Amino acid sequence: MDSFFALHLVLAMKLPEGLTPNLQLLMPEFIIAGTAIAAILPELVLPAGRRATATAWTSFVGLVIAFVVIVAMGPSSEKALHVVSGDATVTGWTADSFSVFCRALTTAGGALLVLLSIPYTRRMDRGHGEYYAILLFALLGVMLVAGVSDMLSLFVCLELVTIMAYILAALRRNDVRSTEAGLKYLVVGAVSTAVLLLGIGLIYGAVGSLSFEALAGVMALGSPPAILVLGIAFVLIGLLFKVGGVPFHVWIPDVYEGAPSPVTAFLITASKFAGVVLLIRFGQAAFLPSIGATDAFDWVLILGVISVVTLLFGVLGAIPQRSIKRLLAYSSIGHAGYIIMAFAAIAAEGGPEKGTSALLYYLMAYFATSITAFGVIITVGAAAKSHGSDAYTGLGRRAPFLALAMLLALLSLAGVPPLAGFFGKFLILAAVVDKGLFVLAFIGAGAVIVSLYFYMLWIKEMYIREPVEGHAYPAIHVPGVTRVVLWIGMVAMLVMGVVMGPFYEWAHDAAHSMAALLSK
Amino acid sequence: MNPLLLCLIAPAAATLAIFFVDAKEKKTIRVIATVATGVSLAMAILMFIGFGDYSYEHAATAAEFTANAGEADEHVYKYGIATDWVEELGLSFRLGVDGMGLAMVLLTSLIIFAGVMVSYTIQSRVKEYYICLLALVTGVFGVFASLDLFFYYFFYELAVIPMFLLIGIWGSTTKTVDQYYATMKLVLLLSAGAVMALIGLIAVYGDAGTFDMVRIEEHGFSSGFQMLWFPVIFLGFAALVPMWPLHSWSPAGHASAPAAVSMLHAGVLMKLGAFGILRIACLYFPEAAAVYLPYVGILCCFNIVYGGLVAVSQRDMKLIIGYSSSSHMGYVLLGVASASLIGIEGAVFLMFAHGVMTALTFALIGWFYDQTHTRMLDDLGGMMKVMPFCGTLFIIASMASAGLPGFANFVSELMVIIGAWSSRDILWYGIPAVFAVWGLVITGVYLLRAVKDAWFGDLPERWKNLRDQRTLAEKAPYLILTGVLLLFGFWPQPMLDVVHQGAKPLVVRLDEGRATHEAARTAREGGTKAVQLPAGGAQGTALADTALAGTALADTDSTSEGSR
Repeated sequence: MDSFFALHLVLAMKLPEGLTPNLQLLMPEFIIAGTAIAAILPELVLPAGRRATATAWTSFVGLVIAFVVIVAMGPSSEKALHVVSGDATVTGWTADSFSVFCRALTTAGGALLVLLSIPYTRRMDRGHGEYYAILLFALLGVMLVAGVSDMLSLFVCLELVTIMAYILAALRRNDVRSTEAGLKYLVVGAVSTAVLLLGIGLIYGAVGSLSFEALAGVMALGSPPAILVLGIAFVLIGLLFKVGGVPFHVWIPDVYEGAPSPVTAFLITASKFAGVVLLIRFGQAAFLPSIGATDAFDWVLILGVISVVTLLFGVLGAIPQRSIKRLLAYSSIGHAGYIIMAFAAIAAEGGPEKGTSALLYYLMAYFATSITAFGVIITVGAAAKSHGSDAYTGLGRRAPFLALAMLLALLSLAGVPPLAGFFGKFLILAAVVDKGLFVLAFIGAGAVIVSLYFYMLWIKEMYIREPVEGHAYPAIHVPGVTRVVLWIGMVAMLVMGVVMGPFYEWAHDAAHSMAALLSK
Repeated sequence: MNPLLLCLIAPAAATLAIFFVDAKEKKTIRVIATVATGVSLAMAILMFIGFGDYSYEHAATAAEFTANAGEADEHVYKYGIATDWVEELGLSFRLGVDGMGLAMVLLTSLIIFAGVMVSYTIQSRVKEYYICLLALVTGVFGVFASLDLFFYYFFYELAVIPMFLLIGIWGSTTKTVDQYYATMKLVLLLSAGAVMALIGLIAVYGDAGTFDMVRIEEHGFSSGFQMLWFPVIFLGFAALVPMWPLHSWSPAGHASAPAAVSMLHAGVLMKLGAFGILRIACLYFPEAAAVYLPYVGILCCFNIVYGGLVAVSQRDMKLIIGYSSSSHMGYVLLGVASASLIGIEGAVFLMFAHGVMTALTFALIGWFYDQTHTRMLDDLGGMMKVMPFCGTLFIIASMASAGLPGFANFVSELMVIIGAWSSRDILWYGIPAVFAVWGLVITGVYLLRAVKDAWFGDLPERWKNLRDQRTLAEKAPYLILTGVLLLFGFWPQPMLDVVHQGAKPLVVRLDEGRATHEAARTAREGGTKAVQLPAGGAQGTALADTALAGTALADTDSTSEGSR
């Protein structure tokens, strides 16, 4: 603790006048960064057999401590690294309820991801320390993303997540598919990064500052210059790459399928989450101030069209898939469609709060659901050495617990009560109808039916079809940690689906703090 | 404890309890399921007896419900209970039933109790079976008891999904129907209807600003809003009824489901749709109902006649009953479409009677199908010789279905036809009423033929050893259902009193809605005609209107006056 304040002092001396560091707000992030470095240590001192477990538990403890600290500290009206005077390039890092919500969700989800990774990393012959350290740095990036309020931090924090994700995707360097996944991800990701940077440059040129507040100020004046609209569009494209909106989705199926399963779980939850959080943060500055202006650019139409195309591409593309990882990849594109649909509702006239809180609830549900699904995928994949549908035939008979977890996860993804995914989708549809975007709502509701079809096919494989006679199925061993994660996931899905009150209140508070920020 | 809440919680708790029972303990599982559904049935009967007549002696327990009691035309929900759920959204967990809801709760509890007992013959994966069955019935109870729009939909969708596994795992594939195809089609079409209704429900929420169904009822929707959203919500629920031409999931689903699921499916699930139409579409949008319901009167002729004729051409007994069900739901729709007191009361009573009758039929078919593994009329014959009990009850059920006096079906179908006819609107309701009467003749054709081919004639050698229901435990579920049919056939008044309590306020609203609509139309036409005929007032233009509209208007006035 002393050294922490020493660091504080050093920074305070070195940095220019007028800057109030408020570094204690970043305490959880320091904990994660420290843990990430500490996670490498067991690799150096312990024998090979015990490295995976020791590193994993170090990371787990770090994440749990960070979670507790985040919740205990609560939201703060102050900003970290806030420049009071001078050229306001860096405008500070906020710790409002929105940021607290996102970071708490990230650390909680991250802790479960670490637990899920344990059985997987035990089977790796090397690189345990690297895996957990990189995963923690990536999670650190997601946490930092939650509080950014200027373009520069946006770029740096997002790149922290993305570059770590490239490495993670190519983790199994002897495996062709994993390498291919990493390479594809890198190439497409680099392009999107370039576009994002270009957009930031254009915005800076038009606004003269990198801060969101300055951007919001210019947008509020109405009739933005073309160069600014172009800049916003480029940033939007860069972020849609991360979220996986059509036509920026091409990398998703191959990368999600080729990457190691725990990494896919990370990509599908935390990495996508970073993109969504940034979209919310950036959108507050870029879209909302111009609402009601006479010659405002019609962002709702663009977002609406992208969401519909994304949604239909995801759910229709998922139908012929016979590998569960690929299926979930397409389904994640479909979910991106709902996420972008919520953005259309946020950007439409009449206040962003409903849409934002719906989106946050949706993401919370999606976290719990995806982690449960991947708990099963990792376990079944380890036994069957396959993610194809034949590995799931008759799973209800062979491994009832895993099949049940998968059943609930798939139903939650489809949006069936009494599971969390249902209420998330309900809220998004309600927000969309509330803004009068009926066409979007009907398409969103229709996509539920299509997605129900392919999830049902998988459920049929697990429950209705009996195991093929004479086929030697490998015995499926469910490790203790996985069992715990699956229980947590199932209970979370059910509780969030039935007792929505407290969770919604939390999401609502977070959304409310964003709106308050805007009105200042 | 609130009996309605107990009715809902008993199967839900049993679902959880069975989850923690070892799968090998089949007997324990069956006992838990029977006790839980028995509790629901007992509560439903208690509520039915204690419901009281139309005099509103029994006030609801929740304070806000009591405020409504006392005035004769107010819509009162009894056995109310309410808890805030998500305050920011105005979402609360709210239960309560009016007379229509209670009739449906009683129906559900009767059928699931019988269904659980009928399912004793199921031997494979007993644990999963009862979990699915009880989850399904929890959803059904929830829909009938919910007074919150969100939970209404929540339970509605909850009831659809377990169907998929129930039909997929324990159903049967025959030459006529593939169970996987049937179950997928059923779930997708039902869900499609459900989400369509959902958008409408969300729009209702957006306009009224609350999910509380009692408060929404008091919220007056503008006529433009009504005209836009009535069709959406109506079609969403009509897919579940199922109204022609949205019916194709239903016979296939009935035919491939295991006995208890067919019972619930035909007996209760289809009624969810009609209940939704009455409870939400008609009650909230009375003006739009006046415009759209006549078209429903036309469509339901197709249900009655087309469904019946298809049933005539079937040789699979479950398909016959399946098509017969969609034919009979046509009568329910006709009663609803007539928007008259006697028609709607008849429709709700028919929902009850048809539910019990069709559940009995499916249970009986399930009993012999377990042994014969065929339901094709060509393979069966003469079974009366070996299964007299089963056969006798089957004939009784068939007679009830064909509308023989002495059964509840007769009373209710008569009321529906009278309701349709008494609207005196020959074009929109008179012709459908004529079709409905002839529909009964068609019903007689296919049922009597099924009875003749399956139960009489020569007994094939291979059916010599078929087993009849012997012990009282085996006979009990069938006897309960038959008893209910006869009881309400000979003494329909208690049920009609209960139904009347819910139907009356609905009809009053529908009459008001129609009057408003007619007045608006008269004013519109009067406005244009006033230019030509300055001397004539509103009275004059109404007389100058076509004879058809004139009679309809006069009839509306007389009904609404009579009902006050």
